[in-house]
This record gives sequence, C-alpha cells and structure tokens, in this order.
Amino acid sequence: MMLFRKFVLVVFLIAPFNSYSDENIEQSKFFVENLGKQVVEKVSNVNLSENERHVNFRNLYLNSFDNYYISRFVLGRYWKRLDSDMRKQFVKSFNNYIVATYAPKFKGWQGTFKAVDSLIENNYYNVKMNVLNEDGPTLKLMWKIYLDKNKNFKILDVNIDGVSMLVTQRAEFMSVIKNNPKGVIGLIEAMDAKTSG
Amino acid sequence: MVKYFIKYNKILLISIFCLTFTLFAKQGNTAEDVNDPFEPVNRNIFKFNNHLDDYFFKPVAKGWREIPDIPRKPLSNLATTAKTPISLANAVLQLNKESIGNILGRFLINMTFGLGGMFDVAGTREFGNVPEVEEDFGQTLAVWGVPDGPYVMLPIFGPSSVRDAVGLGVDTVTNPLSFAYRMNNIGLEARLSGPAVRGVTTREKYLDYLDEMKEGSLDFYATMRSLYRQKRRKDISGELEGKDLTLSMLPVDEVYEEIDSTKNETVNITTPIDNVALDEKKPNTRYYNGVLPSSNYPAFNESRVNLIE
Repeated sequence: MMLFRKFVLVVFLIAPFNSYSDENIEQSKFFVENLGKQVVEKVSNVNLSENERHVNFRNLYLNSFDNYYISRFVLGRYWKRLDSDMRKQFVKSFNNYIVATYAPKFKGWQGTFKAVDSLIENNYYNVKMNVLNEDGPTLKLMWKIYLDKNKNFKILDVNIDGVSMLVTQRAEFMSVIKNNPKGVIGLIEAMDAKTSG
Repeated sequence: MVKYFIKYNKILLISIFCLTFTLFAKQGNTAEDVNDPFEPVNRNIFKFNNHLDDYFFKPVAKGWREIPDIPRKPLSNLATTAKTPISLANAVLQLNKESIGNILGRFLINMTFGLGGMFDVAGTREFGNVPEVEEDFGQTLAVWGVPDGPYVMLPIFGPSSVRDAVGLGVDTVTNPLSFAYRMNNIGLEARLSGPAVRGVTTREKYLDYLDEMKEGSLDFYATMRSLYRQKRRKDISGELEGKDLTLSMLPVDEVYEEIDSTKNETVNITTPIDNVALDEKKPNTRYYNGVLPSSNYPAFNESRVNLIE
C-alpha cells in the first residue's frame, strides 16, 4: 500500500512537468516553422534590394541563432587562447561573414516547411523538419535549439541531410588557422576580406 | 572465370593491404581530428580535380542541364537502375532488410511500370515514395567494422577514404554488369556509359550548390573534406546526426558562465562599443538584468554560480 501511495505521488509530481515539456515540444516545432516562413518573406523575396535582404537576414540570424555559442564552437580549442577583445573581434567578424555568405544564397529560394518531430536530448530540442520543394527532392533538416529562461528559443546548429553546419564551419576554420602563419588573426582577416569583397 | 580471378588477383592483394593499413591507421577521435596524413598530396589532386571540373565536367554538366527532360531523365534513370545489382549485393552483404526491400521494390516497380527503368515511378506518391537507396562496398566494410582510415582525394572521383577507395575498386571489379559486358566482349565505351551518365547527372545536381560553396568558402578543400566525412557517416549509420557531434556539443550554460566571468572587462556601459557588438552580445538578457547568465539555461547549477561569485 505504501508503495502504491509513493507511485501515485510520483505520478502526480511528474505529470505537470510532462505537460510542460509537451507544450515546449510543440512550440519548438512552431519556432522553426515560423523561422522558415520569415526567411521566405523577409529574405528570399526577389523584390527586396540586396541591402534590405542583408539587413533582414542579419536581424533574423542575431535574434534566432545563439551567435556567441556558435562563434565559440567553431573556433574550437583556439577560443581559450584569445583575450576578451580578440573574442569580441572574432564574434563580430564571424557574424558579418555568416550574414554576407548566406544572405545572397536565399534570394528567390522557396519551400514549404513542415516540422515533423521534436526530441529532447541533453536539454536541447532536436527538431526534425522537411523542406518540401516543388522542383527538387525533399530536404531533411534537423535544428538543434534550446529554450532560455526568458522562454526564447535559440538555434545552436542546423543539420542538413547529415551535414552539421557547426562541424563543417569548425573544420574549415581549423584548417585556415593551421595553414595561416597569423593563426586566428589570419582567419579574422580572411573573413573580413570576404565580407568587404 | 579463373582467368578473370587471376587477372584481378593483384587488385585483391592491394585491397587487402589497404584494408590492413586502414585497420591500423590512427583513427580520428574528435571532430577536429581530420585524419588527413596525405594532405599536401591530396590538396594537389584536389587542385587538379578542380581544374578538370572547371574546364570539362562543369561545362558538360551545364550542357546536360540544357537537354530536354526527355531524353535526359530516362537516360539518368536507366543509369541509376544499372547500379541496382551492386547496391543489392551490398545490401545483402550488410543484411540490411530495409535497404534490400527498397532496392528490390524500386527495381521491380521501375522495370515494369517505369518502362524498363526509364521512368522513376517508384519515387512518386502513387507508388508509395519508395526511397532511392545506394549501397556500396565501402559501406559494407563499415558495417563489418572496418574504420574509414585516412582521408584520400582520388583523381577524377574526388573525396574518399582508404576504406571507401577500396570499396570503389571492389564494386567496379565485381559489378555483375561489368562481368556480363566483358563476357560478351562489349566495348569500353558502352561499359563506361552508365558511370559517365551517373557522374554527369550528379554534377548537374550540385552545379549551383558547389559554385556557391566555393565562392563563400575560406578553405574549400577543408569544407569538402568535412562534408564528405559527415555525409558518409550519415549514409552508413542512417542517423541524421553523428554521435560525436552530440558528445562534442558545448553545454550552453558553460559558455555563458564564461561570459559572466569576463563581463566586467567585456561589457561596460561607459566603454564605447559599436551597436553591432552590443547587439551580438545580447545585453538585454545576459548582462544588465541582474540575473547571472548561466541561470538562463536548462542545465543551470546554483552551486557552480556561487563559486564564480
């Protein structure tokens, strides 16, 4: 009987948390679907000027992605060797580089976004999404996001058909640093050159 | 038959050597370990491949794109269907029931309703969207536990690993269609038509994507190496995300503890910082609300924060 009471107590204690999680799962799916819609509206639109596209993409990126976390991850072991000024410079240059690289790619891009599943793993939500394209095959994405205390979802990584953007970017940066005598400064200069060019 | 076996005996020996090398080669343990001991040579081959691509494969792929859907699509479909025996053999060697079912299903549907493999009706909604599955001997070796080994850049074929290069050789030699061609003295041109059409079709598929990637990349070689490794891992495991990434993800709270420990020196209201930098550092939630940044995140640990304070 004692055991049964304990069981009932545990069930009652756990139940509210479960419903809370379920709600977050649905919200995480909505978050990425909504982001997809905003990209089509505010970035892909062919009627936008390049500057408008650039600004809109920058705003979406800074609001939806955890750019500090991403910057730290892609710099790997080199991050700890930088002082705070250099870190700031890197984050700024990296964000500019991401915006300059990706914003033009979305011009005229179309697709229907459907979040199919969201799984919680180590405090992250892995949201699986299909991007249905009329002309091409369905694109399978997985977003790695988390929920901060202010109930804002932030994206950490996008995985496209098995390819992680974080891992790819880090692999590239590690190689640039390794092959550049100036190291991280050389990487920052290379990013700035791409951005200004 | 014996004649062919003797002829390919050397290839078999080379394959065994390469596989042994792969098994004992140092394996990459972290996401940053690229396992590319032949990098200088690989980079030169990559450069050669890029030149070949710029002056030959890309123009051919562009020309291929201009050909009307018929005969372009039926030719591509026929070339894909021709790869079925090797995919099926590898799916059987891997004992992968799902792949066997998909490969056989696609083959039977396309050979009957798709007019001998000319039309890919199996991939349509009416026939249940049967997915296209390709299995090769590199994947089979991986399923059998052979590690991928050092990264290699093959001339013309592009990114590979020691294991996958061996797999490519074995697939080429043991392809039942190749045997049939040789037995019937069919010329090299006809034998190469399938791989050539598949190659051009694949290049055409990535025409815009590769150009964009090359343009935006700071080190295209390193990007391609990473993409290849990740894509192969996904094809082999079937998982959308490699386990090593999950393990190497930095805990979010740890990152923000770091910001917190340096907040006095990095963000000071009296210190002029341009707007972009302020925006990027998320001042509204991380710096000025009196709440420690790490407490914003799910894995928040009070005792850890007290230690910092």
